[in-house]
Amino acid sequence: MEARKDILGRLQQQAAPLPMPSAWVSGRQFEDLAAEFERALTAVDGEVIRVNSFDDGMTALGDLLAELGVEKGVVNGERPLLTANFSHQFPQIEWHIVGLSDGNLRDGNLRDFCAVADVGISGAAAALAETGSVLIESGAGKSRMATLLPPIHIVLLPAARITADLFTWAAAQNAPPPTNMTFVSGPSKTADIEQTLAIGVHGPKRFIVIVYDQ
Amino acid sequence: MIHTGCTVTQFRQEATQTIGNASLQKALRGATAHFVDGRQAAFDAFPDGEAIRDHLKEIRGATISNLAFYLEQFEQNAQAAGTIVHWARNAEEAAAIVTSIARENGVMLAAKSKSMATEEIKLNHALEAADVRVVETDLGEWIIQLAGESPYHIIGPAIHKTKEQIVDLFEEYRGRPLADTSIAALTAEARHILRQQFLEAGIGISGGNMGVAETGSLVLVTNEGNGRMVTTLPRIHVAVMGIEKIAPDWDAAAAWLSLLARSATGQPMSIYTTVVTGPRRPEDADGPEEVHIVLLDNGRASLADTSSRKADYAEILQCIRCGACLNVCPVYGESGGHAYNSPYSGPIGAVISPLLFGLEKYAALPHASTLCGACVDVCPARIDLPRMLLALRADEVEQGIPSPFEQFAERAGTAVMGNAHLFNLAGKMAGWGQKMFTKNGTFTPPINPTLDRNLPIRPQKSFRDLWNDLDTD
Repeated sequence: MEARKDILGRLQQQAAPLPMPSAWVSGRQFEDLAAEFERALTAVDGEVIRVNSFDDGMTALGDLLAELGVEKGVVNGERPLLTANFSHQFPQIEWHIVGLSDGNLRDGNLRDFCAVADVGISGAAAALAETGSVLIESGAGKSRMATLLPPIHIVLLPAARITADLFTWAAAQNAPPPTNMTFVSGPSKTADIEQTLAIGVHGPKRFIVIVYDQ
Repeated sequence: MIHTGCTVTQFRQEATQTIGNASLQKALRGATAHFVDGRQAAFDAFPDGEAIRDHLKEIRGATISNLAFYLEQFEQNAQAAGTIVHWARNAEEAAAIVTSIARENGVMLAAKSKSMATEEIKLNHALEAADVRVVETDLGEWIIQLAGESPYHIIGPAIHKTKEQIVDLFEEYRGRPLADTSIAALTAEARHILRQQFLEAGIGISGGNMGVAETGSLVLVTNEGNGRMVTTLPRIHVAVMGIEKIAPDWDAAAAWLSLLARSATGQPMSIYTTVVTGPRRPEDADGPEEVHIVLLDNGRASLADTSSRKADYAEILQCIRCGACLNVCPVYGESGGHAYNSPYSGPIGAVISPLLFGLEKYAALPHASTLCGACVDVCPARIDLPRMLLALRADEVEQGIPSPFEQFAERAGTAVMGNAHLFNLAGKMAGWGQKMFTKNGTFTPPINPTLDRNLPIRPQKSFRDLWNDLDTD
């Protein structure tokens, strides 16, 4: 408490504050937000699949899972993913649906499963066209480990949630944020050894977004 | 004090070694050119970039001028979300806070995400002294931890290491040779080793790229995903953040984030921008049960305090630690990061190290600049670094820091250059004196202050002589 008093006391010696500028109004206007999102995310080694509807997205997801040879998958228990019956649709895969497969949701089970899962599947709260970023949030049924530990992260993103850039997103924020929000802009990367790009250091090695129109 | 300082002799010795080391020069050129080209390409593709830099400068200036208000707002909102907020006046207090959180919870292993603030407080030493093992998880930071060194660059801690040196470090750590020594294989090896550490760690430690006052959120930016790991897997997350890293609201955060990665690595956005607002809530599927933020002063408040002698330097608090100024600096590009003997190198380090850790100790750094101004041209907050470098030099004179010999030489130089006759005479005398030490067209003085450079020979006739000889008709 002494430290707090000292630091703030020192700062309170400051003269009158300078005026804060008014919020920046984004000048970015994209004719086709989904197309711009695809361009931007592809440019940073992410992958985009565009389909007409959520059902078509599930079909595309099925093809992808088969192609990737997925044996274990974790799915965030959020809408509309919850409406799809993964165990029924893809019976050859062992599924963990966050919030359904694990009664009390304390780490144990979920953590162990995420650590060995081949793929994590989630929805998204928003996306930024300019930078190809997808916003994933924490909350009921929404695991951070599911989108972080498996080597592949697949997102089902409704095209209507794509906004132009960080400024248009910021301007729309009026509710208190969830515990954790993460903008993901591609697969995990490093250039720490001789500035040579290497993919998949700690996070997923592949980041695939299925964008569906309503 | 934990930062030992940098004298002119030390800086010169370290820089001379770096200049004479061909592979190090190649690594430095490669890394800085890579970052410079990346930044340029990112801004070329960002139509509002220059205007947003102006916007960020205004935001940062206004925030720093009213920092107590925003810090209190940040604290209040962070606490409302369940975050435990601590205040530390100096490095020792900050390290003690983190260490006691680890000890009280019986933590044996800490996983760390790359953070300059924790380098500044030498947190790893403090934790290890308390028997808490610390693992750096940013690949570059882990490499220098294995090598027992300090970061070479704010953004790329291990840019000075060659692949072969890194292979040696990994093999030593594993105690056996690696079958595949490609960069992809080294990265996979690090992923495998560090994944276990993330899962075992009892505490995750990070810095903070910014705190958003209006929501009490901590923003963390990484490319590898280690920032997400340390804020997700361990039961406790502790962040150490300088008190100046406050964004009042999401508009400010958006301006900051849209310039940070572009300026640092040339990416439109870093791969992971994580926003932490408190510990896990009952409905959350996972996440840490405790979140702590340590607000670190360590000399910053006295820079913002307008009643303080140091208030001329408040502008330095606008820095967002992108590292762009290092990449364009002709001095950093030759001397390398270790010459500064501070966690902060390059132009930002030359200003902030003396201000935070003592001008007397870091007296060499304000001179580690050509004042060319390339740093201002790339700074996302347009901080006038050369102005402050000059002000620090003036402070050195005012405080009597230069040696008596240097002070005498400066005075003598001023007297000579202020008088045409004296100047002419001194030039002639220098010419005669030089002859004694010139052999076969090379001037070799008994003491060469430049250490390893050849000094020019004074021509037979000076410019003044030639001018007088001109037929002015």
